[in-house]
Formats: sequence, C-alpha cells, structure tokens
Amino acid sequence: MTYRADVLIIGAGASGGVAARHLAEHGFDVVCLEQGDWPDRSSFPGTRPDWELAIRKDWAMSPNVRNRPEDYPVVHDDSDIEPLMYNAVGGSMIIYAGTWPRMLPSDLRVRTLDGVADDWPIAYRDLVPYYDAIDRQIGVSGLAGDPAYPPHDDYPLPPLPLGVAGRRVAEGHNQLGWHWWPEPNAILSAPYDGRRPCVQRGVCTSGCAEGAKASTDLTHWPKATAAGARLITGARVNRITLGSRGLATGALWLDHDGVEHHQEADVVILAANAVGTARLLLLSADDRHCPDGLANSSGLVGRRLMMHPFSVVTGWWDDQVEGWQGHFGASITTYQFYETDPDRGFVRGAKWALSPVGGPLNHILPMRAGNEVWGSDHHVLMGRTFGRGASWAIFGEDLPEESNRVELDPDRTDSHGIPAPRVSYRISDHSRRLMAFQEERATESLRASGCQETAVASMIPYSGWHLMGTARMGDDPASSVVNSRQQAHDVANLYVADASVFVTSSGVNPTCTITALALRTADLLVQRRREQKVPA
Amino acid sequence: MTAADSSTAVDVARLEELADVMLPAAHGMPSASEVRAVASFLDEVLGWRDDLRLPLIKALAALDPATFTVEALSAYLAEDEDAYTALTTVVAACYYLSPVVRDQIGYPGQVAKTYDPFAYTEWVADGLLDPVVERGPIWRKAPE
Ligand SMILES: Cc1cc2nc3c(=O)[nH]c(=O)nc-3n(C[C@H](O)[C@H](O)[C@H](O)COP(=O)(O)OP(=O)(O)OC[C@H]3O[C@@H](n4cnc5c(N)ncnc54)[C@H](O)[C@@H]3O)c2cc1C
Ligand code: SF4
Repeated sequence: MTYRADVLIIGAGASGGVAARHLAEHGFDVVCLEQGDWPDRSSFPGTRPDWELAIRKDWAMSPNVRNRPEDYPVVHDDSDIEPLMYNAVGGSMIIYAGTWPRMLPSDLRVRTLDGVADDWPIAYRDLVPYYDAIDRQIGVSGLAGDPAYPPHDDYPLPPLPLGVAGRRVAEGHNQLGWHWWPEPNAILSAPYDGRRPCVQRGVCTSGCAEGAKASTDLTHWPKATAAGARLITGARVNRITLGSRGLATGALWLDHDGVEHHQEADVVILAANAVGTARLLLLSADDRHCPDGLANSSGLVGRRLMMHPFSVVTGWWDDQVEGWQGHFGASITTYQFYETDPDRGFVRGAKWALSPVGGPLNHILPMRAGNEVWGSDHHVLMGRTFGRGASWAIFGEDLPEESNRVELDPDRTDSHGIPAPRVSYRISDHSRRLMAFQEERATESLRASGCQETAVASMIPYSGWHLMGTARMGDDPASSVVNSRQQAHDVANLYVADASVFVTSSGVNPTCTITALALRTADLLVQRRREQKVPA
Repeated sequence: MTAADSSTAVDVARLEELADVMLPAAHGMPSASEVRAVASFLDEVLGWRDDLRLPLIKALAALDPATFTVEALSAYLAEDEDAYTALTTVVAACYYLSPVVRDQIGYPGQVAKTYDPFAYTEWVADGLLDPVVERGPIWRKAPE
C-alpha cells in the first residue's frame, strides 16, 4: 500500500541520518530509502586475524572491489582518483576515519580573498550553531582553543590520546615553530550517549566494532526511528518522480527482487553523496520537463566534482612506536600551510592529519607510502620500518572545474540494471604545485620529529573518500543547482542534503560540514514548513 | 593439494618453494618454510579470500621454482598484475599469520588498549601546547 510521507529521504548515510532525526523529532512523517542494509557489527573484520586481507576485498573502500549487491559500480577509467564509499545505514561513515574538523571562515570566501572559484552564499557564522549542535549529537573528542580556528564551544569529550608518534611530531613542530593541535575526532574518548569509548585498535576504516566511532546508524537512526521515521533498507531508488506542477512527487525504487515501488512524498531530500545524488538527478531526466536531468537548468548537475588530491608522507623512527595501533582518525593535525601565502606559487593550502600505518601486510603490500621488497632485503625493510612509523595524510584544497564530473555510463549498470555513474576527473596543475609543496614540508616535519627515514606517496589514486560539488549551492539559478537552503532552484520541494552542494572543497575532511549543513537544511525546513510548496 | 577439484587445487609444495625465495631465512628472520607458513595457513587464507585461488594457481603455473628469483617476481608484475597480487598477498598473509613471525617482529595483532581520557591535562599542564597558543591566531579573517 502506498502512502504519502511528509518527507522522503534518499540515502541513510551521514547527511540522510542527520536530516531524518531532526525532521522526525520535529513531528514530520519521514520515510528513508536506503539501498544497503543495517551494518552488523559482529561481522566487522577488525578483531579477526584476516583483517588485512578483508580490507583488500570484502571490506575494501572501493565499491568496485567489494562488489556487493548493494554497491553500484563507479566507472573511473578517466579519473586520476578513484571514488570510495560504503553503502549501508550509516553510509560511508561505516568505513570513514572519523576526523572531524570544521571548515574555516576563509574556506567560504575564496573568490573574495584569493580570486579563484566562487564564494559560498552562506558564511562561516551561519554554520557555527549547527557545528556546535552536531558535535554534541555525534560525540566529538577534541580540545578547544586551537588558534587555527575562531574560538568556538568546547568539544563534548576530551581529546583522544596523542600516542608516542603524535607526541614526537608535536615536539618536532614546537622546534620548527609550526602549528599543531590534537585532531578533533568523531570517536569517543569516554563513554557517551550509551556508547563505549575507543580502544585504540586502529581498524577504524573497516568498521568500528566497539561503536566508538560515530556513524549515523548509531548516533541518529535509532533516535530517528524512535521518533517515528521509517527506514526501508534494500531499497534502490532509480528515479525521482515529477508531477504536473513541476514539483517532485516521490521516487521510484526497486527492492531486492527487482520489484518496482513508488514512494510518494511532499518533499524529497537527496542524501546519496555527491556521486549518488548526481547520478539520481541525471537518471531522473524526462524528455518533456528536464531532458538533461532533474534540477539541471544550469547544466551544472554532475559538474565541479571535487575529491581532494591526497598524499601521504610516512616517517620511521629507529625505535618502536607501535605504529599499527591508535585511532585512524588522527592524533594531531596541522594548519601551518592551510591559508594562502602568495609567495608559494599557488593559492589556498592543505590540512594534514597524523595517522597510524597499519599492520604487517600494509607495510609490505602498501596501500599508502612505501615499496614492496622481497628476498632477504624484505626482512631488513620490515626490521627498519614495522611498528616504527606514522603518516601525515595530506588533504589539498581542490578547486572546482566543470570538466571534473559525474555522468551516466552508457554501458555499465548496477545489479538492478540501472546505469552506473562515470567519473571524469583530472588533478590540476595548481593542485600538483600545492601538493608538491606540502609533501616537502611534511617531510621536513617528520625529519624534525626524529624520523630517520621518510617516503612520499604522492597524490595516490585510491583516495576518493571526499566527494563534493556536483550540485552546487548559489543564489543565481543560472550558475548553481540549489539555493543557500539547499533547495533546488528548479524544483521547489526537492532538497540536497549531502556534499554535492559544496561550492568549494576547503582543505578539511568534509563530514563535519556535511552534517552541519544537513542539520541546517532540516532545521530551515522545520522553520519554514508553512511556506513549503507541496504537490497537490 | 588443498581442494578436491584439481582445477582449483593449489600445489602447496610449489608455492612453498616460491615463498622461500620471496621470504628466505635472513637477518635473524626465519624462512617461510621454516615456520611452515604455507602448510599451516594456506587453507585459512584461501578460506577468507577464495577470490585469490585462481590467480594464485595461474602464478604457480607461470613461475618455475627452479629458475625463480626476486627479479623474476618483479618482472611478473608487468606480465600479470592479478596473479602477481594473489601470489604476494597469499605468501605474505601466510607468513605474517605465523605466531613465530609475529613474535619476532613484536606484533600482537590489533589489540584493545585502555587509557585515561583525562591524561591530556598533564601534557597541557606541562606546556606542550604553549608555543602554539603563544603565537596567537593563524586563521584568516573573511568578510561575512
Ligand atoms: C575510507 C573513507 C574514509 C573517510 N574518512 C573521513 C574522515 O576521516 N573524515 C571525514 O570528514 N570524512 C571522511 N570520509 C568521507 C565521509 O565518509 C563522507 O563524507 C560522508 O559519509 C558522506 O555523507 P553522505 O551523507 O553525503 O553520503 P554517504 O555517507 O556516502 O551515504 C549515502 C547513502 O546513500 C545511499 N544511496 C546512494 N544511492 C542510492 C540510491 N540510488 N538508492 C538508495 N540509496 C542510495 C548509499 O547506500 C549510502 O548509504 C571518508 C570516506 C571513506 C570512504
Ligand atoms: S581505534 Fe577506536 S574508533 Fe577506531 S576502530 Fe578501534 S575502537 Fe573504533
């Protein structure tokens, strides 16, 4: 039996979970369609001996490698970076690292300050109350007072341990006169909201069996469903439906058996991430109203994809630091080279996050920095490096370009026969200059921290974990897809809650901002519910 | 042989020979065969990662233990990346599952630790952050 919900949310990941909870708690009748299932923490591989094998296949970050029925393939032959994600209740948060930085005021004003890309139609100030609220919902561990940020509320929990490596690099930066600070993480350092704290096992990117790392299946969905939200799993949406007044009427979706259903709703919110949302808008093209895709009169749906060029600089000390242990997440961060310095030959900058290096297989079959070495030299390498290292993960600000984009692939499909997204993406010369500079500084950082040996893995392709920009926000319908409330210019009852709306990428991990924006969008919907246009 | 069907059976003896070239006894570490890495852990590894079985068999067919060297292994990467990856992954996984090897490299696995979440107050009190704080704000003001 079909019924009409107040709000239909597509995708139960970070943004979908946050929006659903807020709307349900404010009396909205919410339905969410999610192609994946509830994660089963007892199946997470981190406590098993095959952990490092699992992360190369069934628990890979790439949907193409995992190839589970709920995954859709992402064609990336023409991309310098491979998009990575996870499809389940909780979304990509199930395998994210949990670093939780806010954007900075300058991030939203790069046109005004640096003459590149575009300003956001909102300011840092608009985000602050939502950042504060989301930090409390998520349970963020951190330390207030970072001089890289304007002053803000303290975090609900104390910072996670620095670890031996974090402490050494902190001291190295003090010698260099460089900034460092304990990284805020969406990982509990102490019990919070019925959840257990982190035990430093270091397997965060293949799921946190402890439940210490926040994901919306833990932090939001139980509260959303308790408030009446209905979450339908195994439901793959293939089209948003349009009514005669040009408003969305709901969505068509396929169940596990391929049977098609229609969910009607007054308002539709897309929360399928910047690849999945662009794909759905393009799939919803209709010859009469929107031949180039839904909400795409600007022609920008799918364009301006940003993924943060990503390099890793690893350093090794000549003694043990238990470099396989510790949250992954980051112990410390630096913003020393974040803001623009015109003398560097590029604008904007990068944020670095110090992380563990993984277990033995990650040393000898490295997914990050290092080389494979076999024969007797193998043992020399392991003796020199194993357990002795830490990595600076470097996220460079990625400036938007219309040629970096998501389209529909003419050939590949998912397990339901729905066209797969195809990603075309090139790392620009500007990004290459920016990253080369950061890699050199990160090498200096680790040397100053006492590392005997360092290695750079420059702009690694297997790093598309931050997906942004494919339905940008703006005031002008000719040059943006959604307005500052994340409402589609073309379809008044269609909203985008995920990072598709990012105007620029900043150089920080995006999920703190994604969820703050999703909360803001939901909150503004609540505040303006009487003005909301809905289908007849 | 580890499986009844000969088309999917792995030649354990042949794999052990290759593994000893990849991981010989040297620098105080045992060879793969000394810790019976393949004999003890192959079934377990392929139980977890059955997708590696066929490419591994391909690698075993292509690489002759009589002439196998580390250089031949490197050259094989360019020839067949999937088979190369299966071989190196299986050999490494078997070796580093060995308790003897883990003990020697000091790796207990990914273990749970306890810690005092308020220990940070000590390093804050010790002044570790003082130089950072004393330099003052480094964020750039932006127009609203
Ligand atoms: C390995 C890894 C590490 C990361 N580390 C960090 C980090 O440390 N810090 C940080 O800030 N960010 C990190 N990220 C990024 C972070 O996970 C994402 O930014 C965040 O999860 C995005 O939220 P979202 O709501 O946009 O999408 P997602 O969380 O990806 O959720 C989208 C959901 O939509 C569903 N969906 C998509 N299409 C359909 C459809 N057609 N029908 C039904 N359902 C659909 C998907 O199944 C999925 O569950 C990481 C990501 C990865 C992969
Ligand atoms: S290190 Fe902490 S957050 Fe990461 S998986 Fe282990 S318990 Fe979870």
